[in-house]
Amino acid sequence: MAITGRVPLLLLLGLVAVLARPAGSTAWLWLLVVVLLVGLDLLLAPASGSLTVARRPPGRVRAGHETASTVSVENRGSRRANLLVRDAWQPSAGAHGNRHRLRLAAGDQALLSTPLRPTRRGELAALGVTVRSFGPLGLAARQRTLEAPAGLRAVPPFESRKHLPSRLARLRDLDGRSAVRVRGQGTEFDSLREYVRGDDVRSIDWRASARNRSVVVRTWQPERDRRVVLVLDTSRVSAGRVGDVPRLDSAMEAALLITALAARAGDRVDVVAGDRRVRSRLRLAGARDATSRLEDALAGLFPEIAEADWTGLAGAVQSFGRQRALVVLLTPLEPSAVEEGLLPVLPVLVAHHRVVLASVQDPEVERLAGRRSGLDEVYAAAAAEQTLSRRRATADLLEVLGVHVIDVPGEALPPALADHYLSLKARGLL
Amino acid sequence: MRWLAGHRLAAFVVAAAVAAVVVSAWLGRNDRTHPAALDPGNPDGGGAQAVARVLAGQGIDVEVVRSAASFERARTGATTTIVVTSSSHLGSSTTARLLQHQGAADLVVVAPGPPLLRQLGVAQVPVTTSADGPVGAGCPAYDGLTVRVEHAQAYPTAGCFRGPEGVLLSQPRPGLTLLGAPGLLTNDQALDGDNAAVALRLLGQRRHLVWYVPSLGDLEGADAVSLGSLLPDWLEPGLWLLAAVGIASIGWRARRLGPLAREPLPVEVKAVETTRNLGRLYRRSGDRRHVAHTLRSAARARLAERLRLSRRVGPDRLTGDVAARTGRTVEDVESLIGPTAPPPGNDRELTDLAQRLTELDREVSHR
Repeated sequence: MAITGRVPLLLLLGLVAVLARPAGSTAWLWLLVVVLLVGLDLLLAPASGSLTVARRPPGRVRAGHETASTVSVENRGSRRANLLVRDAWQPSAGAHGNRHRLRLAAGDQALLSTPLRPTRRGELAALGVTVRSFGPLGLAARQRTLEAPAGLRAVPPFESRKHLPSRLARLRDLDGRSAVRVRGQGTEFDSLREYVRGDDVRSIDWRASARNRSVVVRTWQPERDRRVVLVLDTSRVSAGRVGDVPRLDSAMEAALLITALAARAGDRVDVVAGDRRVRSRLRLAGARDATSRLEDALAGLFPEIAEADWTGLAGAVQSFGRQRALVVLLTPLEPSAVEEGLLPVLPVLVAHHRVVLASVQDPEVERLAGRRSGLDEVYAAAAAEQTLSRRRATADLLEVLGVHVIDVPGEALPPALADHYLSLKARGLL
Repeated sequence: MRWLAGHRLAAFVVAAAVAAVVVSAWLGRNDRTHPAALDPGNPDGGGAQAVARVLAGQGIDVEVVRSAASFERARTGATTTIVVTSSSHLGSSTTARLLQHQGAADLVVVAPGPPLLRQLGVAQVPVTTSADGPVGAGCPAYDGLTVRVEHAQAYPTAGCFRGPEGVLLSQPRPGLTLLGAPGLLTNDQALDGDNAAVALRLLGQRRHLVWYVPSLGDLEGADAVSLGSLLPDWLEPGLWLLAAVGIASIGWRARRLGPLAREPLPVEVKAVETTRNLGRLYRRSGDRRHVAHTLRSAARARLAERLRLSRRVGPDRLTGDVAARTGRTVEDVESLIGPTAPPPGNDRELTDLAQRLTELDREVSHR
C-alpha cells in the first residue's frame, strides 16, 4: 500500500478541529477518522490483480539514440481504475519520463510509451512495471510490481561510420584502376586496353601489343574473396579508459568500420572475441548485413578482469580455415601482457597469415611526459617516458616478428586501420 | 540675598514645607515596610491599615502573621477568623499548610486566583467585573448594606452582593468565604458605600482575627507553576496532530514506486592510472639516478628521431649532431644527455635537468 499527499493535508486540517475544541481527544478522534478513511479508500481501490501488463520488446537501438518502450495496461476488473504506472529500466537505458498517470474504465486498455535513450551499449534489461492503484478518495493506493520482462539491445554507436563514405570511394577507385602494380594472389585478369602514360610498364602485355598497332596493357581487378579475421581482446587490458572511452569500445569501432569496408570489397570477415576463453565467434562470410550482425554480437561484450588466453584465441583464428588471411589483433600494446601472452603464439600466426596489431594509444601519457614544472611532475614524466619506451620496444619487437603495428589514439584507430587495409588491398597483399 | 529680604514670608513657607517633607519622610519610613496591597500595616491607598485599626479598636484581637511558620504558631480555633490577603503569593505547599492549620476557624480568602481556587476545592471560575454602582447585599447577614468597588471578581454561585455576573461574596462551603471585592478593605475605598461596615461584619464576626499575609519566601520548589499551565490548551493536541502529519508525510514520500533499479556496471579503469602510480612509486623511492637515466635515454631517442638518425645511433654521434645543430658545446650537450653524465644530487637538480632536456628538445626541433 501507499498513501498520497492528501493524508498529511487531511491531518493538518484537524488543527481547525483542535482549535475549536481544544482537547487531546479531538486530535485522537481526528486521527482515528483519517485512519478509517485511509483504510476504506484502500479497500475500495481496485485490486492490482485485476490489471494485466505486457511489454512490447523495443528491439535494438544504437547507444545514444532515441527509442521507446511500450507497455500495454489492461483493466480486467469491474471498476474504474485510477493508476500511476512506472515503467522501470536499468538506469543506463535512459528511461526519462517513465511515470504515467492514467484512468482506465473497466475493460479498457491503454498503451504507454516511455522514451529510452541508452547511455551505453549492452543488453539492457527492463525491471518491472510498478502499478499504483488509487482508491476513489485519492488517499491510499495499492501498489504492486508486475513482472514484464523485456530487453533492449543497445549496439555500439559506430561513430566511425562517418569515415565509411571516403573509404568506399577509394575502394571504388581501386576497383576500376587501370593496372594494379603487382599482381597479387587474388587479382583477377580483367581486360586489355591501350597503354596511357602513367601505367606501369610491367603490366604491358607484349603478346597482345604485338598483335595490335598500339601498346596494350592488362588491367586487373583488385583481389576479392580474401579473408579478414578480427580478434578482439576483452581481457583486463581492454578495460582501460582512454579519455572517456574504454579501449574495447574504440576497438569495436575499428572492427565495425573494417567489417563494413571488407563486406563491400567482397572479402569475408570472421570475428573472434575473448579473454580467458573465447566469448564470441562469428562468421560473417557473405552476409549482406555483416555490420549489424557484428553489432549484435558486440553489444553484450564487456572487459573481463582476466588475462587473455592467446593460445585459445589463436586456435580460434586457425579454426576459421587454413586460407591465408589478414589477422587484425585489436589489443592494447601493453608490454607485459603482449610479451607474456601474445608473443609465444605470434610466430605460428605470422607464418600462416598477415598480422596487424591495432592498439589504442593514450595521448595522456605523452602529455604526462611533457609536463615537467614540478618535482612530482618530473617523476611522473619519467614514469611516462618509461611507459613510452617500453611500448616502443614492444612495437619494435613485433615489427621484427613481421607484425604491422598501428598505435594511434582511439579516435584515429578506425580510419588508420581502414587505410592500412585499403593499402594492402591496393598492393594486392591480402 | 536681596530677593530673600523682600520675600521673607515666602522663604519661611518654603523652608517649613521642606522641613515637613523631611520629617514626615523620616517618621513614615517604617510605614513603607509593608508595601503590599491590602496589607494591614500599609497606610497607602491600596493598603488595609484603616480596616485593621478599626477592627482592633472594636476590641477584636487582630494578629498579623507574615509567614507560614508564624501562621502555624498563631492560635486558631472556633473563635478565630483567618483572612488571607495577597493570596496570589500562596503556593500549593503554603495553601496545604493553611488548610491544615485552619481547624475550626473561619477562613476568608481575598481575591483568590484560579490555581488557588482549584486547590481550595472550588470548581467555579470567577469572572472579572467592574461595578458601576453600589451592589446590594441580597442576603440576611448583610441586610441593607451596599458595596461599591471599582473592580471585583464575581462568582457564579450563591452568595451575597449579587451583580450582573455573579456574587462578590461567596461561601462555597461552611468555613470558607471568598471575597471577590478586595477594594472594600482598602484605605481608599473603605469609606465608599457601606464598604467599611461590610468589612467589619465579615472580619469581625469572631473575637480573634488572624490576618495572614503569605510570603513568597515560604514557597517550595514544587510550588512552581508548570509551563504547561501557561500554554494554550490547544497546543498539546495540536502538536500531536502535527507529529501525525509528519509521520504521514514520511509515509507518503518514503514509499518508492517500485524497487530500486540496479545497474550492472562494467569494469573500467583509467588507462593512464598505471603510469601515474609508477610515477608516485618513483617519487616515494626517490631513485634520482634511475629517473635521470630514464629521462636522458628518452631524450636521446627523441632527439635521434628529430635529427632523422637511427634509433640505435651511438651516443657520441648524437651529441655531436645535437651540438652542431643547436650551437651548444659538445660538453654541454654531453652533460645533459650523455649516458655517462653524473646523476643529479638533489631534487632541485633533477627538476632542473628535466626542464633543460625539454628546452634542448625544443631547440632541436625548431631550428
